[in-house]
Amino acid sequence: MTTSETASRPFSGVMHEPAAGRVYRHGIVARAAHWLWALAMLVLVMSGLQIFNAAPYLDASDKSDPGRRVLAFGAQRVGGVPVGTTTVFGLTLRTTHLLGYTDDGLGGESPRAFPAWATLPGPQDLADGRRWHLAFAWALTIAVAAYLVSAAARGTLRELVLRPSDLPKLWPMQLYYFRLRKEPPPHGTYNPLQKAAYTVVLFAFFPLIVLTGLTLSPGVDAAAPWLTALFGGRQFARAWHFLLMALLIGYFLVHLTMVVTTGMWNNMRSMITGWYALGEHDGVGP
Amino acid sequence: MKRRLFVASSLSALGLTACGSVKDSLTNGPFRSVLLSTEKLNHAVIGTHGLAREYKESDVDRDFRVNGLDTPSDSVYTGLVRGGFRAYRLRVDGLVDRPQTLTLADLRAAGDRTQITRHDCVEGWSAIGKWRGVPLGTVLAMARPKATARYCVFHCFDADQSGTRYYESLDLHEAAHPQTLLALDLNDKPLDPDHGAPVRLKIPTQLGYKSAKWVRRIELVADYTPIEGGKGGYWEDQGYEWYAGI
Repeated sequence: MTTSETASRPFSGVMHEPAAGRVYRHGIVARAAHWLWALAMLVLVMSGLQIFNAAPYLDASDKSDPGRRVLAFGAQRVGGVPVGTTTVFGLTLRTTHLLGYTDDGLGGESPRAFPAWATLPGPQDLADGRRWHLAFAWALTIAVAAYLVSAAARGTLRELVLRPSDLPKLWPMQLYYFRLRKEPPPHGTYNPLQKAAYTVVLFAFFPLIVLTGLTLSPGVDAAAPWLTALFGGRQFARAWHFLLMALLIGYFLVHLTMVVTTGMWNNMRSMITGWYALGEHDGVGP
Repeated sequence: MKRRLFVASSLSALGLTACGSVKDSLTNGPFRSVLLSTEKLNHAVIGTHGLAREYKESDVDRDFRVNGLDTPSDSVYTGLVRGGFRAYRLRVDGLVDRPQTLTLADLRAAGDRTQITRHDCVEGWSAIGKWRGVPLGTVLAMARPKATARYCVFHCFDADQSGTRYYESLDLHEAAHPQTLLALDLNDKPLDPDHGAPVRLKIPTQLGYKSAKWVRRIELVADYTPIEGGKGGYWEDQGYEWYAGI
């Protein structure tokens, strides 16, 4: 990207003249939303695992149905020794000490799907897990909505939404990341893979995880039964909700890798102060 | 400086993950009021709209999962079971003009509704049952609630290990919902003791703990805070939401 392109972007005119090689990339709403997402994701994943522990299985059906179980955690005694198990699509793995039979947050181990270090609160506490989860679900929803409105107004959304013309550039960009190609394909502020990731997270993962979460509520089911039916019923929605969490964690890990490998301090600074230094990594991460 | 900020935020994130005492102090400290206040927002937004989905006969769980506290084993309840609940009376009193004392026959005569609905437990599981009984609103109307009545409180026969009685409450809006049922039958048979015989509440628009089993008395009140732990129900007193539509 060139500085002249930068100058033509909305609002950049009201900023101080950027110093050579610097660009004001992230507005205050985007930065606030970003860090609120980070915090909300941490709290929602941990309190979500706490809630999950109360019924540590997922069924691809409306009501609970062991015949349609896709994931289950359990504990049993084998020769007097407790064993934790994880069953995925009928395949049972021994996961003692990590899943199924694990840290209970009270100084020992108990039958528990996810360990206390990964849940909020730590020890078994469904009531408070729900309090955390339902509070931060609002934080996530409001942050996503505020970001989308602000990004649409600033024009950022136009820069990061994946377009059909980006599709042929996805693979060349991946080859560049694999170091099998010298130059990234030509692109704007965000490269095609970044656009794909941000588009999927903003317009699929975030809305879907909120909607599947809502359908777990009997009050929402009565008000909008079509929504629950869309996901295959309440238990199926619970499975989708869990899968979306796993996908978001997957996205987070890739995102973190890109932050670290494409100029960590520059990336961090731009998401804290808004200013991004142009250089060798411009447009390749995170 | 930015580095320090980053390191500090990373460390606090790690701390939140690893350190139980941080999680505990956040859950129970001043921040708790924020966590609790969300309930009002959820109630305002979701409320009690529409009708819960009703299912087909073939969707019914014939072996409906037993949940809640242990089936009462005190002499009063076991005596009622032995007598086939002929001695059972449901009292409807409190802020009403005409207190009622109803036999099971009175209840069956008062109204008749059958609904196949899904029971959603706060733990996360769901089961489908065929419930038959009398709409709660019909029974409350017989007692003629006074204008000051805002909630109905369900006093139950069951108690936990420490002797604390189960109870629940609904506001009169939820109580008047057409699917809020005083159930007498489950899956075409009178309720058995494990499923809340002889009368239980069944409110499919809220989580399972609202559907109190073994109901012995319905009290109309202006305010439920003087009752038991003051939060409007047995599980509410232990931190669960009073508004259980979510």
